[in-house]
Amino acid sequence: MSSKALNKKMDMLLARELAGELSHSKKSRTLRKLHANKLAVIGSGIFLVILILCIFAPLFTRFSSTDVDLRNRLSPPGSVHIFGTDQIGRDIWARILYGGRVSILVGMGSAIGATIIGVSFGTYAGYKGGFLDAMIMKTSELFMSFPQIILVLILVTITGQSLWNIIFIFVLTGWPSMYRMTRSQMLSIREEEYVQALRAFGINDFLIAFKHMLPNAIGPIFVNITLSTAMFILQESALSFLGLGVPSNVSTWGNVLSPAQNITILRENWWIWLPVGSVLTIFVLAINFIGDGLRDAADPTQIG
Amino acid sequence: MVSYILRKFLHLIPMLFVISFLIYLGIELMPGDAVDFMISPDEMATVSAEALAQMRSTLGLDKPFPVRYFIWLGNLLRGDFGYSLQSGVAVSTLVMNTLPATLELSVAALLISTLAGSFLGVFSALRKNSIADNALSIAGMIGVAIPQFLFGLIAIIVFVFNLGWFPVGGRMAPGQEAFLQRFEYLVLPAIVLGLSMTAGVMRYSRASMLDSLNRDYVKTARSKGLPEWRVNLVHGFRVACTPVAVLIGFRLPMLIGGAVVIEQIFQWPGLGVMFLGAVRSQNTPIVMMVGFFSVLLVLLASIIVDILTAILDPRIKFN
Repeated sequence: MSSKALNKKMDMLLARELAGELSHSKKSRTLRKLHANKLAVIGSGIFLVILILCIFAPLFTRFSSTDVDLRNRLSPPGSVHIFGTDQIGRDIWARILYGGRVSILVGMGSAIGATIIGVSFGTYAGYKGGFLDAMIMKTSELFMSFPQIILVLILVTITGQSLWNIIFIFVLTGWPSMYRMTRSQMLSIREEEYVQALRAFGINDFLIAFKHMLPNAIGPIFVNITLSTAMFILQESALSFLGLGVPSNVSTWGNVLSPAQNITILRENWWIWLPVGSVLTIFVLAINFIGDGLRDAADPTQIG
Repeated sequence: MVSYILRKFLHLIPMLFVISFLIYLGIELMPGDAVDFMISPDEMATVSAEALAQMRSTLGLDKPFPVRYFIWLGNLLRGDFGYSLQSGVAVSTLVMNTLPATLELSVAALLISTLAGSFLGVFSALRKNSIADNALSIAGMIGVAIPQFLFGLIAIIVFVFNLGWFPVGGRMAPGQEAFLQRFEYLVLPAIVLGLSMTAGVMRYSRASMLDSLNRDYVKTARSKGLPEWRVNLVHGFRVACTPVAVLIGFRLPMLIGGAVVIEQIFQWPGLGVMFLGAVRSQNTPIVMMVGFFSVLLVLLASIIVDILTAILDPRIKFN
């Protein structure tokens, strides 16, 4: 039971970490720990700012992300278009904000989808073991023996390009690592005495796995959700940059960046790629800071 | 030893069997069959249904799906990997023409990332919590967060346009085939790809070096009065190397996959660019076969890594 109490303590720490409370309280923590938490707090701040800007995009720009204005093509940043316009006169700032909605949706949606599948498989199969576990393990090995981007592009060829197909593909290629992570957690929790006790009481396998064991593995799962959100946002941007992701009429950060493949635009029209590239990088950086902070908070060896 | 290697290869067979089946399923799932691609659309109206059926049966397309799969698998084993839908060129020719360029780029990048990553990782571990250590870990975080293609574009702007140090893209100028002549083409894409893979190695080798420095044998070595560099490098780093070698094994899929985006930006005529072109034009046979080859390479590479670690680490037994 002591491990349960410890986990409860960790969960509380985790919750407070998310709320950003820990950065200036606990004096017992080491300096390095404080430093890491500061980054997590800064990360959450940046994350929220960009999220709010994107969700409430109409409040922050009066332009649409799709309206073409051929008289104002490639105009540099100025008082009307604060980040200028692209090669068919769309406002860059509006495209960054509205594009963020889609990019963040793809990143978070895929991460959550992959987590739900990977964690449910991992929890049940990791607890039960046997044939089911071996089958799912083999399947995940199959997925993981492909280089990630090759597999994604093969699936793009089969399903065609659309927003929902991209999310579906990311979920399909993302669940195996989630599954393996959860499974290894469950394998160690399975040996604990309280699980044996529950089993001796004849409690239903589903209940043991999902209600009693899964909550004790939740820390690393949250770390993985944040880190894979960042990874999927990067992957979406790379795919869309190559013209193989979300269809180009939908604004996403990758689609906004893709004109930079043209050498002339790259050299002469920095405002087309630099602002959106920076927003993308800063957002991913912020998520990684949050993920690292969560990892430190969830790691029992690092609690001071 | 020999039986260990043989067993590893035998384990490969069921995996390849399943993957080849999925790959074939992918080819079959695409609308249309070989006959549709052999006859141009305007001729299609003039060809009678019997003639079409005749063609399908000569090609074996009227046979049930499992039979067709085994025919395809037989062709595969004989080295017939199918043909490009657009140009009719054999897929094996296309792969063989582009694979060397990709391997050249990605092996260079793997070397750069391994050397730079382990050097920087050990350096930060030895100067734990110093300004340099913190600066490197922040740089590593930014390195992971910046999209690879953006990093590549910025490198092009700075080193090609502003400084003029490197040619703008491609693998070689016409007529320059010797490695030294085309070396300047390789430098920038290899460094960009290598640096974008460095952060992971750096983080990992820093952690394993720190772990190894805390061990008793390092303290023993120090208490014997050995010079500090010898303690760190000979006693600390040698043991820290093993997990780093394992990490490099995990990164082998990147040899093929990681280069796709960088190849596109630098117009490097490798497998990745050819693959992207095939994905764009829905050229299924090429897409599927590149997928098959990359899995094959990854699996073979991981066997080689297994064997190498077994040779290097005496604790691993061959069974």
